[in-house]
Amino acid sequence: MNASLAFMPIEKLALKLRNGDISASQLIELYADRIAGLGADSKAFISLDLEAARARAAAIGQDIDAGKPLGGIPYACKDLIDVAGLPTTGGSRVLADNVAQQDADIVRRLEQAGAIFIGKNNLHEFAYGATGENEIHGTPPNPYDPTRLAGGSSSGSAAALGYGLCAAAIGTDTGGSVRAPAALCGLVGFKPTFGRISTDGVIPYSWSLDHVGTLARSAADSAILFDALAADCRKPEATRLDRLTVGIPETFFFENCDGEILDHVDRLMTFLREAGASLEPVEMPSMEFTRTVSLTVQMPEALSYHNRYLDQRGHLYSPDFRAGLALGQCLLAEQYIRARRLMESYRRQMNLIFEQVDTILTPATPVIAPPIGAVEVTVDGISEPAGNAITRYTSFFNMSGHPAITFPCGMHSAGLPIAAQLVGRHHADEELIETARLVETGFDFELPLPDLG
Amino acid sequence: MKPVEKQTLKAMRDQLGGYAWDDDEISELVEPKLGIITGFQDLLDQLEILRQVDLEAIPPAAEISDK
Repeated sequence: MNASLAFMPIEKLALKLRNGDISASQLIELYADRIAGLGADSKAFISLDLEAARARAAAIGQDIDAGKPLGGIPYACKDLIDVAGLPTTGGSRVLADNVAQQDADIVRRLEQAGAIFIGKNNLHEFAYGATGENEIHGTPPNPYDPTRLAGGSSSGSAAALGYGLCAAAIGTDTGGSVRAPAALCGLVGFKPTFGRISTDGVIPYSWSLDHVGTLARSAADSAILFDALAADCRKPEATRLDRLTVGIPETFFFENCDGEILDHVDRLMTFLREAGASLEPVEMPSMEFTRTVSLTVQMPEALSYHNRYLDQRGHLYSPDFRAGLALGQCLLAEQYIRARRLMESYRRQMNLIFEQVDTILTPATPVIAPPIGAVEVTVDGISEPAGNAITRYTSFFNMSGHPAITFPCGMHSAGLPIAAQLVGRHHADEELIETARLVETGFDFELPLPDLG
Repeated sequence: MKPVEKQTLKAMRDQLGGYAWDDDEISELVEPKLGIITGFQDLLDQLEILRQVDLEAIPPAAEISDK
């Protein structure tokens, strides 16, 4: 069977399924064969459920319900998400025996939409980290260069899609953990407005910042997935690029960034101008202490959840996650509350900006995928931890709660994808994805498939 | 504000309750070797700066209304 099917967007695959050009069972076998060949290299999966997937596909047969846009579409999800009867390990020894009793809300919703679950994806232990390194299951490599990171924390989700091992993947995003790995791997990563996709049945990392998000091959696919995942999804209001006002941050988001990334985002700005959009500079809230605010919320919340395991299984956590949890115990309650009040302040400041513009454009990341094992990356002579760099442009929007989507917009001379990020108003997720779809349709850029040898 | 000392964090652990982190892990906060995202002292220094910000009556972030 043609391997290019493995990289086909959901939209086109669904059409082939409905037309009878391919059956759900054939599609499952296509991905199963690829997982057998590339699964170990990609380190994308922690567990597989292919027999159940085969049974589901056989039950669907040739009768794909036209009312179910995900009918027969195989997907994978990050191993923080419950699927009944399978372990939800969080990528950790701590929960190696934690078998889920019922499906997460989102798994139920995808099943109702006709999607077929095939397996659980690798991740940074309990989503603590953006490099996607995992000492038990290995570090998922970038499909465009196996010496580089896929990025994290939804590293296996990005690798699964990037290696052509499933048609869609579901991850979680607390500081960019869906959008950043998607950006580094040439995929589309979307996180909704805070709270619009249920997190019930998902192991929490930080309740105030966690978002369930999607990794897909296109913005159109992101729309299909969001429609299935969000209980209150609606049709987007009429969206036209020539009526769009795009905010361009004056500070922070274009600073200390790889020059080629800036060049490609600049090309995208030119495209938007030529399409009739109005580009306006916007003054963002001060970003000086945003990482501190995020950490001050994250670590006490992570500790509060993991306290249930620490006494009995504390020795099974990785040392770096234990260090983070210890930090959470040494912060004061007022510091935590103040950090959450600052989050509300960010939301209000951003909402004022969104009275002036429809969307905000930034690079998705300031760096291309760093080498596996790199502790620090250096841009413009300034070094920072690799994980900090990967999420530098994404984490603020977890605090502000605004929907954001990252999508490819160029290739770096190092042979790695470059991506941009669009951010929308609260609850304007549908219009945001539609804007990205219009850009995707009109922008003169095609991402080559990775050479997987 | 004086730099935080290991002894202070050990006293918090021993006298305020909470999980009994190893002494080495407490040391990690004061003299990081594993690469915690931000050095703890830097974090405390920045939180002290943020304490000076008058947030008026802004409440903690909660649900995001669709109104």
